[in-house]
Amino acid sequence: MTGPFETICSLAKELDAGRISSRELVEDAIARTETLNPDLNAVIAMNKPGALAAADQADKARADGANSPLLGVPLLHKDIFCTRGVRTSCASKMLTDFVPPYDATVVKKLHDAGMVSFGKCNMDEFAMGSSNETSFFGAVKNPWDLNRVPGGSSGGSAAAVAAGLAPLATGTDTGGSIRQPAALCGITGLKPTYGRVSRYGMIAFASSMDQAGPMARTAEDCALVLNAMAGHDPLDSTCADISVPDYSAGLEQSIEGLRVGIPKEFFSSHLNDGVAATVSAAIKELEAAGAVIVDVSLPSTDLGVSTYYVIAPAEASANLSRYDGVRYGYRCDSPSDLQDLYLRSRTEGFGEEVKRRILIGTFTLSAASYDQYFMKAQQVRRLIAEEYQSVLKDVDVIVGPSAPNTAFVLNDGSKSITDMYMEDLFTIGANLAGLPAISVPAGLVDGLPVGMQLIGSRFGEAQLLNIAHQFQIRTDWHSLTPDLEDLTG
Amino acid sequence: MTDAATVRDVAALARLAISDQDMENTTAEFNQTLALFDALSSAETTNVAPMINPLDSAQRLRIDRIETLVDRAGLMQNAPASEEDYFLVPRVLD
Repeated sequence: MTGPFETICSLAKELDAGRISSRELVEDAIARTETLNPDLNAVIAMNKPGALAAADQADKARADGANSPLLGVPLLHKDIFCTRGVRTSCASKMLTDFVPPYDATVVKKLHDAGMVSFGKCNMDEFAMGSSNETSFFGAVKNPWDLNRVPGGSSGGSAAAVAAGLAPLATGTDTGGSIRQPAALCGITGLKPTYGRVSRYGMIAFASSMDQAGPMARTAEDCALVLNAMAGHDPLDSTCADISVPDYSAGLEQSIEGLRVGIPKEFFSSHLNDGVAATVSAAIKELEAAGAVIVDVSLPSTDLGVSTYYVIAPAEASANLSRYDGVRYGYRCDSPSDLQDLYLRSRTEGFGEEVKRRILIGTFTLSAASYDQYFMKAQQVRRLIAEEYQSVLKDVDVIVGPSAPNTAFVLNDGSKSITDMYMEDLFTIGANLAGLPAISVPAGLVDGLPVGMQLIGSRFGEAQLLNIAHQFQIRTDWHSLTPDLEDLTG
Repeated sequence: MTDAATVRDVAALARLAISDQDMENTTAEFNQTLALFDALSSAETTNVAPMINPLDSAQRLRIDRIETLVDRAGLMQNAPASEEDYFLVPRVLD
């Protein structure tokens, strides 16, 4: 008998020993989702018959001698990944009826590894948001406190794993959309190096920063999943043709002598005191394990938010121009002419935050503003990336908080648009610089999870996962689970 | 500061409509976001090359060979309006 909060590694052992079948696991996951999801709103599409058939296939394959560690393990995909024959909405009215005729490479790779997808996770519309409140299907609730946000944009994925609906959910991270919700929901989330995982079939937001990654209970599980997700894909021209190491094999290395850089700018006035104390205590754990703590500086940290919020909306305005009501997606009723079709389909199909970003992006790309905003931001992006590269020549890893605050209350009217953008302050740098970064549970403040972020060198996922795993051997923050008894009855 | 007329022009470029009722609020939000960008002007970027790709890598191109990744019927099934193998739109030419 397994509980809902088992890790993938633990489930793999149970499956391998024949103590449980994939069908039982998937049935349990579906039943738990049906019970809890009305309160959480973390899952917005289910594929019960397909999942049960895939689970039976996995059980048969295992009986026939197959032995992949992911074989038969259930998962949920963020609804940004195209899934053949299963609605993929990106949490937008624009794609409410979109049924992709193909699978994203991430979906295909995890399917080929034997994982069983049973549904799709809610998210901020087109991945634009840090609270999961911009979804056309309504806000996701944080399992630790249903009055609070789970973070975003992969908020449904984070809430689903935190609530034990599935041991794994896929996420995507353009400015922190894996790490921030992972932190706010008390799970482990990895954003790989830009180009480590294929973007084919992942609905585009900001193409020079979008990257897919695993969201799970532990770094050990993330390593196992990244083994299957990563690798070159000829269908994504930005996907790196660099060999994929065995991430699971490198987890047991000592971190004695590891040089850990602590940027003073990450412990600035923007950071909540409780989060600062919790992350500082977690850094002490690394030190106790033999790591050497080094003070470093990333002076352009504050410029990251401005830089990101020029570049990401600019790329989004270009990417989202494809939604014109002609080939797929929402079309307005009775258009009077072609311009009316474009205008009303887009105005009615997109939500407010998406339209806000398209407008800003269109403005910064316009001839009159291009040099002042877009070109300038691309130049500052290089300065920021060079600062990270320079610091990472001196230290092995950069460590700090994943987010400035714990989960905030839903519909917090006191937060302005730019206040909300500041939630991404500590995560944005890794996206601008294309670096891998992971968030691991580091403690609780007032009963709410806090995440510690580790940022590594390009294609340094193995080292990040190793450090995170060593931290999780010494702490049990990743084992804490929210109390959902009232919901489960 | 950007005025409502500029925001309306940008919206037209983006093929988005803003109602008269929403224009004041949209313009205020627009300016609030632009104010966030003012910080960029403090950065010294003379002779700094823009960074387009975070790995500074060139796009890898596949061999220019015709391949069928998704069949036409699969693609057409999501069309809001189609006839035979064509997408239907309002008449453009009289």
